[in-house]
Amino acid sequence: MIRFDQVTKRYPGGHEALRNLSFTVESGEMVFLAGHSGAGKSTLLKLVSGIERATSGNVLVNNQNLSKLRASQLPYVRQHIGVVFQDHKILFDRTVFDNVMLPLDIIGFDRRDAQRRVRAALDKVGLAGKEKVMPIRLSGGEQQRLCIARAVVHRPSILLADEPSANLDRAYALDIMELFKSFHQVGVTVLISAHDETLMEDYGRRIIRLREGQFAA
Amino acid sequence: MKHYLYLHAQSARSALLKILRQPFGNLLNLLMLAIALALPVSLYLGVSSLQQWTAKLNTTPQITLFMELSSEPADLAAVESSLKHHPRVAAYRFVHKDAALKELEQRSGLNAISEGLGSNPLPHAFIVTPQPLEPAMLDLLQKELSGLPMVELAQFDAAWARKLHAMITLAGQLAWLLAAVFALAMVLINHNTIRMQILARQEEIAVSKLIGATDSFIRRPFLYHAAWQGGLSALLCWGLSSGLAYQANPALAEFASLYGIDAQLRSLQPLEVLAMLLGAMLLSMLGARLAADHHLRKNQPA
Repeated sequence: MIRFDQVTKRYPGGHEALRNLSFTVESGEMVFLAGHSGAGKSTLLKLVSGIERATSGNVLVNNQNLSKLRASQLPYVRQHIGVVFQDHKILFDRTVFDNVMLPLDIIGFDRRDAQRRVRAALDKVGLAGKEKVMPIRLSGGEQQRLCIARAVVHRPSILLADEPSANLDRAYALDIMELFKSFHQVGVTVLISAHDETLMEDYGRRIIRLREGQFAA
Repeated sequence: MKHYLYLHAQSARSALLKILRQPFGNLLNLLMLAIALALPVSLYLGVSSLQQWTAKLNTTPQITLFMELSSEPADLAAVESSLKHHPRVAAYRFVHKDAALKELEQRSGLNAISEGLGSNPLPHAFIVTPQPLEPAMLDLLQKELSGLPMVELAQFDAAWARKLHAMITLAGQLAWLLAAVFALAMVLINHNTIRMQILARQEEIAVSKLIGATDSFIRRPFLYHAAWQGGLSALLCWGLSSGLAYQANPALAEFASLYGIDAQLRSLQPLEVLAMLLGAMLLSMLGARLAADHHLRKNQPA
């Protein structure tokens, strides 16, 4: 469950990315986040994953108030969240397999159990044959899938995706959306941001529309 | 708990593999650390060897009590009895003035001394061997003995022993001072190598933090790397100092035999090796910890 309670985020320099925002995403819900670039979508996702902290108001994730949590506790919150980053944040110095292994290493999984999970995650996103490939050899769509595999390999209860369909053609983008839907169907709370609303409307899910840090009419 | 240990074993293993994967560059690093360690360790070994030899030497100094020429047998008996009961006197030997004259004649080859002099100019003497004592205590003993009745002079050349003792003490302090300086160097060298590693893995660290890595997870591989680096360099230093002793000992033994001493540079005892190993590891880890903490503080998300 994610709950925003009168959340404002002001960046150093005075830019207000979010203004007095309140909403709730229930456990197991799949919600889209729409708005032009600069509307505050990325900031909202960063607040949920504890990468940024709210200037005022409360951000509750899985019943923990991130605004009141000590910095040393934030990593444990992140370990229950999967994030598909807008810029992927893939490590190019290691294989596809080792990229997906990273979250499990961080949580401290048993090696053999972890290897099984990595293979399952890669299989799920359709990269089963590319374990030993270096990420630089992957296409843009494949890199996106790699990032998704890394976000779900530790079976998080919340999955965040920041513009996952950007720079992909429509067929590929639909594939990716289907992938997110399948995670939602097994009970994961999914929050996806995009600026292309036509893709969302096909799914009939709730859409949170943002404009200049507030709900758009 | 078992799982926790498993994770640490895993980190230790991968840190070692990382060192072995770049043997040449890391060997240079290890050698640098080992040489830095070897300097104070060698000095320490030299000083403690010297202390062992001088401990043997210190038992030999003797105090010679020359009696007044006019002393009577009763006086001699009085001095003898106080020497016999003195707690700091290990042994003593009485030299009759006639025996002393005879010895002088023999040594100098001048058989006619006594004839020319008419009477024996030499005094009776006691040669006293003290218990093993500190130079200061020896001085005290000498003063005390010279105060015995009818003793003209208690002669004891303590100056050389005191000088030697002072020099050894100074060298010992120098060894510890050097050790402190090189301990600092150990921390700084490790701080630097780990800082370079952190810079090389900056991206990995940033991504790891984004997906839930704790600070201790980020630090762990660097701490283990430093621990290996410190431990291996301590072992290398052990080898260096043993090699040095092995090289120096034949020449030293020959030199010492001129003075009738059996002298050998000692090598590190197991307990000392262990202490050096742990010390080097801890200092290295301290350097790594400081470097990692600095990086983590600087890159704290807002």
